[in-house]
Amino acid sequence: MTDCTKTINVRRDVALEAKADAEAERRRLARRGTLVVNLLSSPGAGKTTLLEATARRLTPRHSMAALVGDLETDRDAQRLSPLVPAAQLTTGGACHLELPLVRRGLEALGDPQVDFLFIENVGNLVCPASHDLAEHLRVVLVSTTEGDDKPGKYPKMFRTSQAMLITKLDLLPHVPFCVEAVQADARRIQPELDILEVCAIQDTGISAWCDYLCQLRSERLAAYQELA
Amino acid sequence: MHEQSLVRTLLKQVDAIRREHGADQIREVRVEVGPLSGVEPLLLESAFDQLAAGTFADGATLAIDEVTLQAECRSCRQQFEVDAFDFRCPDCGGHVRILRGDELMLVSVSVACHEHAKISS
Ligand SMILES: Nc1nc2c(ncn2[C@@H]2O[C@H](COP(=O)(O)OP(=O)(O)OP(=O)(O)O)[C@@H](O)[C@H]2O)c(=O)[nH]1
Ligand SMILES: [Mg+2]
Ligand SMILES: [Zn+2]
Repeated sequence: MTDCTKTINVRRDVALEAKADAEAERRRLARRGTLVVNLLSSPGAGKTTLLEATARRLTPRHSMAALVGDLETDRDAQRLSPLVPAAQLTTGGACHLELPLVRRGLEALGDPQVDFLFIENVGNLVCPASHDLAEHLRVVLVSTTEGDDKPGKYPKMFRTSQAMLITKLDLLPHVPFCVEAVQADARRIQPELDILEVCAIQDTGISAWCDYLCQLRSERLAAYQELA
Repeated sequence: MHEQSLVRTLLKQVDAIRREHGADQIREVRVEVGPLSGVEPLLLESAFDQLAAGTFADGATLAIDEVTLQAECRSCRQQFEVDAFDFRCPDCGGHVRILRGDELMLVSVSVACHEHAKISS
């Protein structure tokens, strides 16, 4: 009896099942009319402030709910709850959200039938890029205070996003941040990126952002109806 | 953290393949990672050693092939290696899709077998 080694060829994406699972969830939510938006940025770029402004602008005509991810505390959910149904997802140390946590959050809200479901990811430009949360739209925020060199440093985040929001525009006169430079850096990585500029605390650019969301919702949901 | 959960998924898949082929012991697991896999090879390796210990994969090596980013232009079909994360087609400037280098790929699993009990595959 001689020992030998047998090699079994596989060639399969390790994340194949997770991707299929996310796709099924994306389809389920699209078919009942919900556009899922995953918001990503470094800590403090203004995700919750944007959601507050978005809620004020959208909710007269559209329904929305928010799931907010943080390592600890329910501060962001507390901020949003007066405006829209919001659930906090605390990761207990993990640096990103994953689909099971999102499902738990949806359950906590009673699986609401809303036009828009916003997921505020944990502030981090690295790991959240690798996790599909069944979103139809991935939006990365870059604030004027964090420097215009971020896209090139975190290529996966920008490559996998469909839109980039430049936030805290009011601070532009006070910081060395070049809007054209960040746009060019991001478009090199993702030429199809839609780029918008906002200042959530002064409500600048919020109406264009909401128009963009509504337009995208019609387009994406129609695409899923056709697949049916 | 992220590498740990990936390795857990990977080991589950390796275990299923091993059972399918009636093998006990794993000698090598070969994976492919690229610049957009979101995986750091060194961290993947240490997570593998840590999580494989005491299981069917104890002592197995994790072979990591590091590949470059390959893309194809959706307009002119040109295939090229993406350099410095510049995803514009070098020929026509068109939009591209990634062919390779953005996932963690399980390439192969090597198992121990014995000559007298040949495993058919
Ligand atoms: N000047 C200015 N400050 C802003 C703007 N938007 C947000 N901020 C401030 O930036 C800080 C962080 O904003 P948040 O909305 O909490 O940021 P976040 O991305 O949700 O933060 P994390 O959830 O902790 O990652 C707060 O002090 C906000 O008031 C803006 O448009 N202009
Ligand atoms: Mg927040
Ligand atoms: Zn081309």
